[in-house]
Amino acid sequence: MNSRERVKTVLSHRNADTIAVDFGSTAVSGMHCKVIEGLRKYYGLEQHPVFVHEPYQMLGIVEDDLADALGIDCTGAFGATNMFGGTTPAWKEVRMPWGQVVMQSVNLPLVEKGDRYYTYPEGDTSLEPSAMLPKSGFFFDAIERGPLEIDDDKLNIEDNLEEFSLLSDAGLAYWIKTVKEAASKGRAVVASFGGSGLGDIALVPGMQLREPKGIRRIPEWYMSTIIRTDFIKEIFRRQIDIAIQNLEKINSAVGDLVDVIMICGTDFGTQNSQFCSEEQFRDLYMPYYRKVNDWVHSNTGWKTFKHSCGAVRPLINAFIESGFDILNPVQVAATGMEPAALKKDFGDKISFWGGGVDTQGVFANGTPQQVSDQVRKQCDIFGENGGFVFNSVHNVQANVPIENVISMFETLKSIRNV
Amino acid sequence: MYNYSELYQAILKGNLNLAKTEVTKAIENGCAADEIINSCMVEAMGEIGAQFEAGKAFVPNLLLSARAMKGALEILQPQMQKENTKLLGTVVIGTVRGDLHDIGKNLVASMLEGSGFKVLNLGSDVPADKFIETAKENNAEIICLSALLTTTMGYMQEIVNAVKEAGIKAKVMIGGAPVTQQFADKIGADGYSDNANAAVTLAKKLVSAC
Repeated sequence: MNSRERVKTVLSHRNADTIAVDFGSTAVSGMHCKVIEGLRKYYGLEQHPVFVHEPYQMLGIVEDDLADALGIDCTGAFGATNMFGGTTPAWKEVRMPWGQVVMQSVNLPLVEKGDRYYTYPEGDTSLEPSAMLPKSGFFFDAIERGPLEIDDDKLNIEDNLEEFSLLSDAGLAYWIKTVKEAASKGRAVVASFGGSGLGDIALVPGMQLREPKGIRRIPEWYMSTIIRTDFIKEIFRRQIDIAIQNLEKINSAVGDLVDVIMICGTDFGTQNSQFCSEEQFRDLYMPYYRKVNDWVHSNTGWKTFKHSCGAVRPLINAFIESGFDILNPVQVAATGMEPAALKKDFGDKISFWGGGVDTQGVFANGTPQQVSDQVRKQCDIFGENGGFVFNSVHNVQANVPIENVISMFETLKSIRNV
Repeated sequence: MYNYSELYQAILKGNLNLAKTEVTKAIENGCAADEIINSCMVEAMGEIGAQFEAGKAFVPNLLLSARAMKGALEILQPQMQKENTKLLGTVVIGTVRGDLHDIGKNLVASMLEGSGFKVLNLGSDVPADKFIETAKENNAEIICLSALLTTTMGYMQEIVNAVKEAGIKAKVMIGGAPVTQQFADKIGADGYSDNANAAVTLAKKLVSAC
């Protein structure tokens, strides 16, 4: 069984020859560039600066040689521009504050001011900066721009739709080339075509936009989910219509080469609660998720991927009814997210893509042996009858000791025996 | 006593404009600031906090109530100064160095403010010396530390050590997604809470121990 077959089998809730593994196919299942550098060194691979495809979280590309060394079954197809509006496939060397030299987008200036570095939409330093990185930090955070006070009489829906547009011929050509390249690797292709995330709070500030307008500040957006529901629904309705038109074009060209589509990264959970009730989820979000997921299931063979951090157990039935096939990152340390109960109650209806090791706990703070023990335990629980792709809980962060990361991969190798 | 039900509902439901109107009416009716705060606003914030803990209200509800409460407090501010309204204590709060996440921390700050504390919010990416300097200058009873990241929570240990070395009276309480009671015990913090409502209860307890 090759990697692609393995992933497709487990996502059909059947046992494959062994556990399927992902690291690096999405912006929520990847590894910090510092970790990738450490792994390349440990496995004796060619030493060169890591390519950072997602600079907001400083996620590096898992190149083929490393993917082979680690036994990774998935590969990502990412967009032509990054979260700051910079061109991703055009690179330059940059030294980051922690001393690592990486390959970054050519449109990513790092401007030092005081104890922070700032970066700018499309790399244009004549604009207000849209993200900042503390000198002691390892990734960026959004700078909120846009109006401080919202005048409801003057709210214009177009302001919150600026980032959603129909694919140009050049945009379509990019995706055809990128998906074909990804598919040539023989791994399952996980595509992040974009445009279908509903109110993803990482995207709301519009770090790529030159002058964002509308509701762009994070607390204001959250409050709007209660006090401006008609406005939010109209944003969702129109963006999903655009997303489906784009997916139609991509599917006609290279649909057969794609296995999984990243639909949405909106977090609905906190450490011990949710951002809304199930009732509100069904009213505000579900109709639009249903629309795009139904389109995917009616027209393609793709599986639909939903990311949501936190204690989302009370919403999982609604996720399933929304048409999601996959839940990530399965934050096992959050309230109500005990692996055995999740597997028992939902394991035949949704696949778990994550939950393999607790990034907030053992992975960052435990010993290599503790990591190994947890990896074995989670594989036993989640791996039965398919429905599981191994991944840590969210991206592997910069501070995870490299010996713990190695322990995880070496344990997986011994379990998988492939 | 004045009927505060409209103001109470305005804060509970997070209606900013109504909260401003109702607090203005209460002032015009001759109500004292401490009565408005303690008989109504603290109660309303307590109720939304209780609903949050019971899973009947969520972060957006807390944000709305906190905004309404802050709007009302701004209108009350001149009267509070005139009447020299006594507060429960002074809290210095911030997200620790290297960490820029402040939604949770701001919620805790608002809940404390709405519960009758004076709150000095230092923002995010705050170094140890800034916490200590502000606590000293304002004779604060509590320093609240927040971190969202496993990469930054370790810095809380340095702040706890620095507070002890500085010999100030302030108690240190900590919170944030990856933080646990076990971690608080390990670094010698005086308290930990896992949500904004529990943080208020903890702060009241710590102040009484000062």
